[in-house]
Amino acid sequence: MSSALIMQHIRDGIMVVNTETIAGKVITQNLGVVGGSTVRAKHVGKDIFAGLKNIVGGELKAYTELLEESRTEAIARMVADAAARGANAIVNVRFATSSVAGGASELFAYGTAVTVE
Amino acid sequence: MRSTDARARTLIASSMLSVLLFSGVAMAQAAEARSEDSPFIMMCCLGPLLLISLGFAVFGILWAVFYPIMFLYAVIFSERNLNRMMSDLVLRERASIDHFGKDPLSTLKGDHIVGGIKETGLVYANVVYSPSHWQLLIAWINQLFGGRIDVLHRVISAGRAEAKQRLREQAQAAGWDDVLNVRIDTAEMTPASKPKGTRAVEVFAYGTGIKFG
Repeated sequence: MSSALIMQHIRDGIMVVNTETIAGKVITQNLGVVGGSTVRAKHVGKDIFAGLKNIVGGELKAYTELLEESRTEAIARMVADAAARGANAIVNVRFATSSVAGGASELFAYGTAVTVE
Repeated sequence: MRSTDARARTLIASSMLSVLLFSGVAMAQAAEARSEDSPFIMMCCLGPLLLISLGFAVFGILWAVFYPIMFLYAVIFSERNLNRMMSDLVLRERASIDHFGKDPLSTLKGDHIVGGIKETGLVYANVVYSPSHWQLLIAWINQLFGGRIDVLHRVISAGRAEAKQRLREQAQAAGWDDVLNVRIDTAEMTPASKPKGTRAVEVFAYGTGIKFG
């Protein structure tokens, strides 16, 4: 999923990095903060299974998968926002997580949309 | 595509619910029209509620049966599973360090790189990791005496090492040479308002992958 996302970025021509600058390039224009967020939950069956797995301990695969999917979606929305502003890179990307309710979680990705040369 | 899917699902669920409610109300009214104090009205109104409570009862019984079995399993195997996972991780770490020639992860910003960079991109990995209820019990007993709580420390550092190793593997899969500015976030899955929920932490590691020019 992650590598597919990277392919998507390359197709859109938008570079996403979490450093403040892109090495070898010069930032010519600042287009403001862009962000994307999503709230997602697994269905009840997976929640119950994760609850059972929690007794034994170890990795809870259902929740790992859930957060991975939501983060991918949040990044895709952020990239769409940046593309709408005509940016060709997003720098200094940060992530934030909050749990709204029991099984649901909100993922938020934000960064600065810029044009680089 | 996905949003229409979700919309259709919501529509189906809400229409089913409303059909259930309306049929219950209509049947109750019909029964009331026939006679004042028939038990049929009660049945119509309470039917769905009874079904739901039956579901909860079945779930409760299953939980009461399964919980001790799972707990026993945790008592016997959780320590061994943790040790096995740690030794597995050491092997995987060694394999990826062999692939890159060094540990690719660093928190540097990239100013130290002399040769120039051809390509950059985001790379991230996450893992949700939880201690077993047996380990939580031991931790609770340790908390009474205070001091170092070794069990939880080991579980959380295992989760963090797993997230870092996944980041290395993602970087390897995407073909990056190095990962700069790595950040590691830890978020708890259990909200403070719901302390009896799933006790797990999410470790999320992200950084900027680079290719040397």
